[in-house]
Amino acid sequence: MRPRDPSGLELVVDPVRAEASLWRRLRFEDDLRSREALFNRYIVLARAVAARLFRRRMTRRIDRGDFDQFAFEGLLHAIDRYDPLRGVPFSAFARRRIVGNIADGIATMSEVDAQLGHRHRIEQERLRSLAKSGDDPLAALSELAVGLALGLMLDGTGLIERADTADAQPSAYDSLAWRETQAMLASEVGKLPENEAIVVRQHYDQGLSFAQVAQLMGLSRGRVSQLHRAALDRLRKRLRTRRRWP
Amino acid sequence: MTILCDDNELQELMTAMQSDDRDEMVRMDRLIAAYPEDPRLHFLRGSVLASIGRPIEALSSLRKAVELAPDFAIARFQLGFFQLTSGEAVDALATWGPIVLLPEGHYLRSFVGGLTHLIRDEFDETVLRLNEGIAANEENPALNRDMQLIIDQVVEIQRTAPPSDGENDGSASATSFLLDQFSGHRPS
Repeated sequence: MRPRDPSGLELVVDPVRAEASLWRRLRFEDDLRSREALFNRYIVLARAVAARLFRRRMTRRIDRGDFDQFAFEGLLHAIDRYDPLRGVPFSAFARRRIVGNIADGIATMSEVDAQLGHRHRIEQERLRSLAKSGDDPLAALSELAVGLALGLMLDGTGLIERADTADAQPSAYDSLAWRETQAMLASEVGKLPENEAIVVRQHYDQGLSFAQVAQLMGLSRGRVSQLHRAALDRLRKRLRTRRRWP
Repeated sequence: MTILCDDNELQELMTAMQSDDRDEMVRMDRLIAAYPEDPRLHFLRGSVLASIGRPIEALSSLRKAVELAPDFAIARFQLGFFQLTSGEAVDALATWGPIVLLPEGHYLRSFVGGLTHLIRDEFDETVLRLNEGIAANEENPALNRDMQLIIDQVVEIQRTAPPSDGENDGSASATSFLLDQFSGHRPS
């Protein structure tokens, strides 16, 4: 596969300065995109720390997803507390907080939480966000089913551009129709209003809970849930116009 | 009250900086406190901060220099260049806007033209305009070296197959804010 040509800008960009500009925009110019860009830049670090601690875990009752969730939370705390003017590299600063947050989180996790697992909690969150009340129950159920199906398709579509996923291979067992719809969906996510796109990307692609997305975006959890629902409504309408969809 | 600091004081500060004086920032901040409106001091401070890896403060000093002296062409160019190397191409273009008003053939105008082509991935024109600038620039050799580095990289990607990701070696860091570009330049 032929690598992408470098752009002119890439030739002159200094990574240290580019990151500093993200911190500047976040701290001094309240730029929402920078916060997400920084989070995306360091999520690999959070996952790596989670993986390392997971291998060394003392208990079998907690799954890897929970370690990731605590790591993401630690990363978000670190982004909030980091002072870019102090000259300490962010990765060193964040690593300690991620480790600490995982340790605290695991230690205080209740038996029930551990049994349910993060996957189940995330699905519950989605369901609550999508379920409508007061409508015709059958229509509401049908809408809910489509919403959940869209969510299932969005899971792991790789909506966020990553250098190492340029050649993602679909499973041979995925039907062509499924793959086509998934690709269409991914392209439609890119056209969503900014806030809705962030919720979808972070929740489905990165696996963040609504509470974490809320922290990332500086919004309430309820607002994130609303944005999630609005995004899926919009995606459903757009897909209907692009092709026949239930 | 005098707005600009004395040339001798400025020269002394620069000599101290070149002699690896550890408290250069303290000396500079003292001078800035005495002459807060002198754009050269802010430019110098920005250049030093950029070279020691304090980009956030560097940017604000460079901005201050241009704000105080909008016609201080080299400071304006370097502010734009700093923004470009920070990945903020739109800001760089906005900063460079007034440089187009310099006379045709002025090296900074050629450099800005070349870098604008670079942002648009127009590599032939980039090399042409940057070379034009280098030929016209006799007063600022450090800047010529920086532009030559960019030309070399552009020529390299034109000559060879596209490199893989991660090959960018961050040689923009070589676009140092060398102090010799600065000596003796008063903002007009």
